[in-house]
Amino acid sequence: MVLTCPVAMGRTTTRRDEPSPLSRRTVLRAGALLALGGAAAPLTGCGLFDREDPPTPDPLAPLVEESLRLAAGLRAAATAHPDLSARLVPLAEAHEAHATELTRVIGTPAPSGTATPTASPSSGPPADQATTLTALRKAERAGRDTATQACAAAPAERAALLGSIAAARATHLEALR
Amino acid sequence: MSERVMSAPTSPDDALAGALTAEYAAIWAYGPIGVRLTGTQRKAAVEAEAAHRTRRDALVVQLSNSGGTVPPDRAGYTLPFPVTDKASALRLAVEVEERTAAFWRAALPASTGAERDRALAALVEYAVRATRWRREAGITPLTVPFPGRPG
Repeated sequence: MVLTCPVAMGRTTTRRDEPSPLSRRTVLRAGALLALGGAAAPLTGCGLFDREDPPTPDPLAPLVEESLRLAAGLRAAATAHPDLSARLVPLAEAHEAHATELTRVIGTPAPSGTATPTASPSSGPPADQATTLTALRKAERAGRDTATQACAAAPAERAALLGSIAAARATHLEALR
Repeated sequence: MSERVMSAPTSPDDALAGALTAEYAAIWAYGPIGVRLTGTQRKAAVEAEAAHRTRRDALVVQLSNSGGTVPPDRAGYTLPFPVTDKASALRLAVEVEERTAAFWRAALPASTGAERDRALAALVEYAVRATRWRREAGITPLTVPFPGRPG
């Protein structure tokens, strides 16, 4: 940790020895800055404590969250409109199955809990059926587009799963008409 | 589950040849389907058949250009069950769309770029069409969790 400091200190020293037009205050201020830099350097510059490879999130991780969010939105709508639940619950189950399968492919534990809070932030009076269905369709359309892009960018071993997810979301859009 | 089986390395031409044989069978099947339907359902069958013909033609051109083998069409195909009325015609239409979707899904790992985009467009289109036929046939649920996935 101390290793970075002598360089900075040395530079300060030589500069101070030169006949310099700098006022004492300027030099002191510079010294204070260098001291700060010296304190920060061991954390950022030394590399001693840097992680070799900072864990990069899997590109499919957002899709897991999106799946759970779509599922939660459908379940919330099914609760608010019980007469729609026969239509909505199978769609929610499909999204949950997607999240499970994506998580398996990513190879990390599933995000803890369900996405219920993010999916139903509005605690106002429940929207009427038409408004609810419109919102659900909009979410499925966006989800279809996300999965389509993910499929296009995916390595071969993930392409089929992502294709199925894109297709499933497109069929949901149709089923919500 | 059967994911690994489907993801087994297949050459792009083999995958497309598989899709082409599926398209042949789909076009053939819409013959007996169409005659059992009327009105908007028959119109939907005609449109579906046209979509399969368009993809068939594109595949024949693509496989010819790439030097791959173009599998021949057959004089007839065995239907999974007899089509005797509107109900069985609609059920067959669901089956046809879901089966062809599966072949296009299998083409996804074997393709990249624009070719993968086309395979995905086919998978999505046929999956959506299957859902429409399910609705017409009164089948619930209207959707399957993993369109095109076998088993």
